[in-house]
Order: sequence, then C-alpha cells, then structure tokens
Amino acid sequence: MTLIRLVLPYLYAAVAIVAVWQATVTLTNAHVAILPPPALAAQTFIELVSTGELFVHIRASLSRVIAAWGLSALVAVPLGLAMGRWRRFENIVDPVVELFRPISPLAWIPLAILWFGISEAGKIFIIFVATFFPILLNTVSGVKGVDKVLIRAGQVLGCEDEWSLFRKVILPAAMPTIIVGFRIAFGTGWAAIIAAELVAAQSGLGYLIADGMEILRSDLVMVGMVVIGVLGVLIDSVFRVISKHHDWGT
Amino acid sequence: MMAQAPQSKEISIRQLAMTFESAEGESVEALHPIDLEIAAGEFVALVGPSGCGKSTILNILAGFLKPTGGQALVGGEPIKKPSIDRGVVFQDYALFPWLNIIDNVSFGLERMGVGKKERNEIAAEYLATVGLQEFERKKPSELSGGMKQRAAIARVFATDPSIILMDEPFGALDALTRRFLQHQLLEIWQKHKKTIIFVTHSVQEAVYLADRVLVMTARPGRIKMDNRIELPYPREFTTKGFRDHEKLIYDVLDEELAKSFDLESKGRFGD
Ligand SMILES: Nc1ncnc2c1ncn2[C@@H]1O[C@H](COP(=O)(O)OP(=O)(O)OP(=O)(O)O)[C@@H](O)[C@H]1O
Ligand SMILES: [Mg+2]
Repeated sequence: MTLIRLVLPYLYAAVAIVAVWQATVTLTNAHVAILPPPALAAQTFIELVSTGELFVHIRASLSRVIAAWGLSALVAVPLGLAMGRWRRFENIVDPVVELFRPISPLAWIPLAILWFGISEAGKIFIIFVATFFPILLNTVSGVKGVDKVLIRAGQVLGCEDEWSLFRKVILPAAMPTIIVGFRIAFGTGWAAIIAAELVAAQSGLGYLIADGMEILRSDLVMVGMVVIGVLGVLIDSVFRVISKHHDWGT
Repeated sequence: MMAQAPQSKEISIRQLAMTFESAEGESVEALHPIDLEIAAGEFVALVGPSGCGKSTILNILAGFLKPTGGQALVGGEPIKKPSIDRGVVFQDYALFPWLNIIDNVSFGLERMGVGKKERNEIAAEYLATVGLQEFERKKPSELSGGMKQRAAIARVFATDPSIILMDEPFGALDALTRRFLQHQLLEIWQKHKKTIIFVTHSVQEAVYLADRVLVMTARPGRIKMDNRIELPYPREFTTKGFRDHEKLIYDVLDEELAKSFDLESKGRFGD
C-alpha cells in the first residue's frame, strides 16, 4: 500500500513527461537527431539493457559518486565537528570555505585534468568538490544546534572530557542534521557526474550523454538523462528511509 | 541490589560571589557574597524573585559556571568542573532524545563503567520507583512532560550522586502532575537521603518538600531568610503549621518582589 502511494506520484510525472515529449515531437516534427520520440529512446534503452552496457555505465558513475562522497564525509564531518564546536577554529576556516563554496564543480575541470590527468582520481575529485560543502555545512549547523542543556546533562552524567562528550552527546545529537547533509551531498554529487565524466571518460552515464552528443545520437542522451533522473530519485528515497530511522521526533 | 552504598555530602558556600560581564561591557552583580552551610542529606528549597541568582548558584555548584569570588565546597572539595557526583535535574528534562528511556537512565552508569546487565537492572529498578517500568523501551518523544521528568529523576538517582541540584524541575508541569511528582520525589529522597537543592517559584512546594527554605533577596542575591520547616512528612497544605510557614516566607518574599520590580523598571526606563 505505502509503496504504491510512494511510487504513484512519480508514475504520474513520468506519464506527463512522456506525453509532453511525444506531443512536442509530433507538433514540431523534430528531426530524430534533435529530439528523438520516446519510443526510440525506449528502444535504445532496451538495447542498452540487453547488452548490459547500461549497467556498466551505471556502475561506473555510481562507484565514482560513492567514492567521492565517502571521501567527502571523511574530511567534512571531522572538520565540521571541529568548526561547530570551536568558535575560534571556525573563525579561521570559515572564510576559506566561503571563498571556495561558490566555485562550481565545473570550474574545477581544468585543474582536475592538470593535477590528476585523465585518471579516475580527477573525476572523483570533481564529485568530491560537489559533495563536500553540503556535508560540511550541515555538520557545522548540526553541532551548533545541539541543545546546550543536553551538553550540560552529558557533563553531569560522566562525560567529563571533551572526547566522550563528543562521542556520547554532540555527535548523536547532531546526527539527523548530518544525515540530511549526506543526503543532499549525494544528490549534488550525482548531479555532478556529467561534469566529472565530460572529459576523458570511457564509461558512466555522463559519458553516455557526452558521447551521444558527439556522435549526434540524441536518443543516447535522453536515455542517459532519464536514467540519471530515475536513479537520483531512487537513491534519495533510500536516504529518506535511513533518516527516518534517525529521526527521534521532538 | 545497589551498586554501592548510598552516599551524600555536605555543601559549604563561602563568600561566593558572581558578577557577569555583559557583551556591552556592563557588569551585573548576580550574587552578593553568600555564606551558606548545607548538611549532608538535607533537602533545601531556594526561593526568591526572578533574576535574583538562584540558577546562578545551582550552575556554580554543578560546575557549569566559575564564580568570580569565594568558593563552594562539596564534601570539603572545591568544585572545579561538572561531575557525575553532583547530579542535576533540569527544568526541561534534558533527556537524550536518541536513546530510549532505559538507556537514558543507564547513561551515567555506563559512563561509570557498570556492565550492561547490571546497569539495566539498576535502571529498571529506578524506573519502577517512579512508575515507568512499562515505558523502558519508549523514546522520550513518546512520553508526556510529567513522565519525562520522572525519567530524569530516575536518571539522576541511578548514578547515586552525593548531591542533587534541581532548577524548577516541576515548573513546566500542570498542578496535578506536579503534586504527584512532589510526592514521588519525597519518597525517593527519604529512601536515599541525598543532599538536595531545589529551586522553585512556589512557596507551597518549598514548604511541602524541604527541611529548610532559603529566601533570597532581589538582585544582587543574598540569603535573606533561612526558614527551617520542622513539620513531619507527609505534610498537609491545610494545617496551621504549614500555613504559618507559608505566611512567614511570603512576607519576606513580598518585600523583595517589590524591590525587584522597582529594580526592573529602573533598568528599563532609566533613573
Ligand atoms: N550568562 C550571563 N550573562 C550575563 N548576565 C547573566 C548571565 N546569567 C545570568 N545573568 C544575570 O544574573 C542574574 C541572575 O540570574 P539567574 O538566572 O541566576 O536568576 P534566577 O534567580 O534563576 O531567575 P529565575 O527565577 O527567573 O530563573 C540575572 O539578572 C541575569 O540577568
Ligand atoms: Mg533560574
């Protein structure tokens, strides 16, 4: 029951999108290379599935995002905890963060190539940039938002040093906000696979789109876009389920 | 069943003073040097006009605040920082929302290094004392305000501290729940004989619970009256002895309230 209720809105949306898509093709009589009809895209999709090629691309993109996102969490969570807890440290680090934050992952492509060449590391670096700030900012605000009275309660219940206070009180109290950061970051990282795979990639959904553009196969582009969209929604709902578990109500 | 023999300690407050510096550089004298001796096992209620420094005293005793003058000793030891030996019950419960009730109550025991089985036994015992045995596995968000405060009381007694500091613990509760918790608190205190300092705005509550009611002056706070209540427990609100104590305290308090309103309006409108 609940599954149906969850999926139904997306089904409506999908039907609407396909309808508008088909109508546009019919009305404008667009060339297949400019806008392929949904049926052609579906056929290409089935081909890519049956040859298994699509799964290679999905796996390539997904593993890049997971690696970059995990790396981000490893750096951004401790940094965010420290920034949220120590005002003076935050005052030093925050201006640096704020200066880097507006720079889009796309802008890092040239440097990524210069520094990491065409290796996997360059692609992961670009996604890292895209995932870093949501995790950092949510961790900082999560720590700052910890109720002072809970910290005091921890102190009089045996968390007498800063480390145990962190582990037993501050981290769990900030966890729901940090998890929201993880979720947002996975979304921005997933959206950045295009930027990461635009250059010198041989696989990935971003590559599928870039390659489709180059060889004038807009059906490949459409398949790439649709798969990114659908997987994005699926991954996000997994995160929603996880964060439900960490939501203790108020 | 207990982890260790119940204990309690005396408190000596010597020339304790606190002056806050506000952000604008103004200084606010919250406590005028205070001297006070509280015997081990005594239940002391602290009443006084709003802003007279009651919470400040408690925060210093808990170790959350450093006094700007004098010192406070618990069991002869000066207070340096917060300690599990000095328990606190907060007005807004301060249960950890990510832990269920039994884990909240055994939190301090875990920090003391008590093994899982034993700490769960102790926690369950205290939860039963406050009538929450059915709610061990519930999250704090699933409990009413009164139940949360009962859990918080179980949590503080479970670690067997030498003194317990309570800052308006029943202030947010309705009158009936309040009566019930006062009764439960007295029962658990009579069993364990902890030294308790209990801040309240209710004179009735103070006289109902405490061995001694201390009335503070308007800011800067000093102890204006030290009223020993020798009525036997359980006390009745309606008896003459009870009423007499209430009257005595109200008379002193009214004077101070007038002063504190005066102080407030002066602060607000200038002089
Ligand atoms: N951190 C602080 N900085 C500056 N002034 C403070 C600070 N904490 C308390 N004060 C001031 O010290 C005085 C005493 O405050 P305190 O909280 O101890 O009063 P209280 O007796 O507990 O009042 P209430 O009954 O309203 O809880 C007040 O005038 C308050 O404004
Ligand atoms: Mg107060």
